[in-house]
Amino acid sequence: MANQQSNRILTVSRAMSEAIAQEMRSDPSVFVMGEDIATYGGIFGATAGLLDEFGEARVRDTPISETAFIGAGVGAAMAGMRPIVELMFVDFFGVCMDAIYNLAAKNTFFSGGNCKVPLVIMTATGGGYSDAGQHSQTLHATFAHLPGLKVIAPSNAYDAKGLMISAIRDDNPVLYMFHKGLQGLAWMAWPETAANVVPDEAYTVPFGEAKIVRPGKDVTIVAISMMVHRAMEAAAELEKQGVDAEVIDLRTLVPLDRETVIKSVAKTGRLIVVDEDYSSYGMSAEIITSVAEHDPGALKARPQRIAFPDIPIPYSRPMEQWALPNADKIRVAAQEMLGRKAA
Amino acid sequence: MADVRIPDDLWDTSKTPEGIVANWFYRDGSEVPANETIAEIMVEKTNYEIAAPAAGTLRITVPKDGVVRPGTVIGRIEG
Amino acid sequence: MTPTKQQLLWMYGAMTKARYYEDTMAAAYMEGKSPKFDIGAGPVPGEMHLAAGQEPCAAGVCVHLRADDTVTATHRPHHAAIAKGVDLEKMTAEIFGKKTGLAGGRGGHMHLFDPAVNFACSGIIAEGTGPAVGAALAAKLKGTDAVAVSYLGEGAANQGAFHESLNLAALWRLPAIFVVEDNAWGISVPKSKATSVADTSVRAAGYGMPGVRIADNDTLKIFEAAGEAVARARKGDGPTLIEIETYRYYGHFQGDPEVYRPKQEVPALKAKDPIDRLRTHMLANGVSVAEADAVVAQARKEVDEAFAFARESAYPAPQEALQHVFA
Repeated sequence: MANQQSNRILTVSRAMSEAIAQEMRSDPSVFVMGEDIATYGGIFGATAGLLDEFGEARVRDTPISETAFIGAGVGAAMAGMRPIVELMFVDFFGVCMDAIYNLAAKNTFFSGGNCKVPLVIMTATGGGYSDAGQHSQTLHATFAHLPGLKVIAPSNAYDAKGLMISAIRDDNPVLYMFHKGLQGLAWMAWPETAANVVPDEAYTVPFGEAKIVRPGKDVTIVAISMMVHRAMEAAAELEKQGVDAEVIDLRTLVPLDRETVIKSVAKTGRLIVVDEDYSSYGMSAEIITSVAEHDPGALKARPQRIAFPDIPIPYSRPMEQWALPNADKIRVAAQEMLGRKAA
Repeated sequence: MADVRIPDDLWDTSKTPEGIVANWFYRDGSEVPANETIAEIMVEKTNYEIAAPAAGTLRITVPKDGVVRPGTVIGRIEG
Repeated sequence: MTPTKQQLLWMYGAMTKARYYEDTMAAAYMEGKSPKFDIGAGPVPGEMHLAAGQEPCAAGVCVHLRADDTVTATHRPHHAAIAKGVDLEKMTAEIFGKKTGLAGGRGGHMHLFDPAVNFACSGIIAEGTGPAVGAALAAKLKGTDAVAVSYLGEGAANQGAFHESLNLAALWRLPAIFVVEDNAWGISVPKSKATSVADTSVRAAGYGMPGVRIADNDTLKIFEAAGEAVARARKGDGPTLIEIETYRYYGHFQGDPEVYRPKQEVPALKAKDPIDRLRTHMLANGVSVAEADAVVAQARKEVDEAFAFARESAYPAPQEALQHVFA
C-alpha cells in the first residue's frame, strides 16, 4: 500500500512522467519514443523532464512515421526491451493500427505464449475544447474490442501513476489512454478533482479492478476517464435531491471488472453508463449487456447510456457542447429512473 | 519566514505582461521541503516551476488562476 | 518561364491577402485567451496553425490552376485556400464556427471543404496525398486535362501515405503534383532529426517521377517549377514532386512557446520577407506603386469584410450537429 504520509498534489501529466522516470531509473530496458516527446516533453506533458535526465538514446523523438515506430516498439519489446511509445492523438491510430492490433495484440497468441510483447502505447484522448472531428475522439471501444490488448483509462493522478507503473511492468501490450482534459495543463481547462495526492515512491494500481469512488444505494453510475468527474458532479446534485448515487470508476477497460458493476446493480437496481466515446457499439453497451446477461431481473428501470451521439465530433462550440455527456444529462437520467420529474 | 516570489526576471514582460498561477502542488497549510517544486506559473503557453525557498508551512496568498507578474509574491513559508 | 504582369499582380495579391489574413486571425485567436491561455476560450477556440511566411508555396503554384483543378491541403491551410479561391467569407465563418460557414461550423479550420473550387484540407499528416491522387485519377478517367495538387509538410514525407501515393501516381501516370512545404520544423523536431535526406525531392527518383527543390522561398522559382509540373501533368506526362524551402513565422500552433527554436531565427527570416521581395521585383519590372498598392488595399478589404461577416453571423443551433452525417 502506498505511503499515507505524502501531502504532495500532482497533476495527471506529472504523475505520468514521474512514473515513467522512476521505472526508467530502476530498469535500463525501459525507453520512450514518439513525436515531440524529447525536447518538447510531450505535447500533453507526459514526458516532461525525461530527456534531461536520461538522454537522447532512451528518450527519442521520432519522425511522423507511426507505422514504423510503433512497429519498432513491437519488435523492440519482443527483443527484450520495455518500450513506451506515444501515439500523439488516439485519432491518429488509422495510420498504425496494424502494428497495434495485428502484431502487438496477437504475437503472444501466435507464438503459443513463447513470445512476449511488453509494450506500452500511451495516447491522448478526448475533446470538449473545439479541436474538431480528427483530434477529439476517445475511441475506448475501438481498442477494447480487439483481443490481446490491455486498455487503461485513468481518471486522476494517483491512479495515473500507479496504472502507468503497472503497465510498464506488465509483460503484455498495454494501451494507456489519457484524457487531454485531465492532464492538468494550464492551457486546457481541467477538473480540480483530477489532481490529487500522489505518493513519492513507485507503486502499482492493479488492472481489472474498478473503484467505487462514491458509494450509494439508489443508482449505479459507471463512468470512464473524464466522465468520472461528470458523474461525481451529477452525484453531488442528486444528493441535494435525496438521491444517493454510487459512482464507479472503471479505471481499466481490458481487463474489465464486471463483478464490481454487477454487485453494485444488484444493490441499486438502476444503471447509467457514462462514456465520452460514440454511443453505439461501445463500452456502454458492453457494461449494460454484462449486467443483463448475469441477471436481467436485477434492473428495476431501463438502463441508460450517456455517450456521444453517432456523429463525427463537430467543431462549432455550441454543437460540440450540446453533444457531449455532462452532469446535467446524468442527473436527468437518474431522476427519470427513480420516477421523479427532472428539475 | 520566507516569501514565495516570482523571480523579477522570469520572463520578458514587454511581450506578455502577465501570467497566471497554473497549479499549486501542495495545499495551504502543508509542510513542504526546501527547494521542492511547489507551484507552476504559465505565461501564454510556457510553464515555469516555482520552488520553496525554505522548508516549513506553506501559506498560499495567490491561488490557482490568479494573475501574476515578475516579482509577485504568491505565498509564504512559515517556520 | 517568367510570369506576366497580370500573373505577378495576382500572386502579389494572393500572398498579401494570405499574410493579412493570418495576422488578423492571430489576433482574433488570442481574444478571450489572455492572461490565461485557455485553448477552448474565445471566438476562435481549438487549435490554430498559421502559414505566415509560406505564401509563395500557395501563390506560386495556384497561379497556374483553374477552378476545376483540385487542391488538397493540410492542418495549415489558409494560404492555399485563399490562393485556390475558396469563398473567403464562408471560410472565415467556418473557422469562427458559424452557421454560415462552409460546413455550417462542423469542420473548423483544419477541415475546410469548398467543392466549387475543388479545395479540401484535413488534419492527419500526409493523408491529403491519397485524395489528390484520386482526383487526378478521376480527371484521367473523365478525359479532362485537370490536375491535382497535394500540399504537405516536410515531416509528412516520412509518413506511409506519402510513399504509397507517389508510387501510385507515377505507376498510373496521373496528373498529380506533390508540393512539400519544407518549413524546417515538425512541431519541435527539425528536419535533420526526422528525415534521412536533406533534400526530400531526391525521393522523387525513387518513385520514377521528376523532383525539384526550390531554395529560399523564392516565388518566381516556384512559379517556374510549378508551371512546368502543371504543363507536364496536363499533357498526360505524369506526376512531379516539388519541395520548397519555406518558413513559418508563427509557431506550429498558436500558443506554441517555441522553446525549440533559436531566438534569432524568425527576425532573420522576416528580413528577407518573400512578399517584400516580390514587390521589389514587380516594381522593377513594369508594375507601378499605385498598381501594387491597389492590390494591397483590395486584399485587406476582402479580409476585413470576411472577418466582419464571420463575427456577425449566427452560431448554428446545436441540434444541427446531427445533420449531414450521411448524404
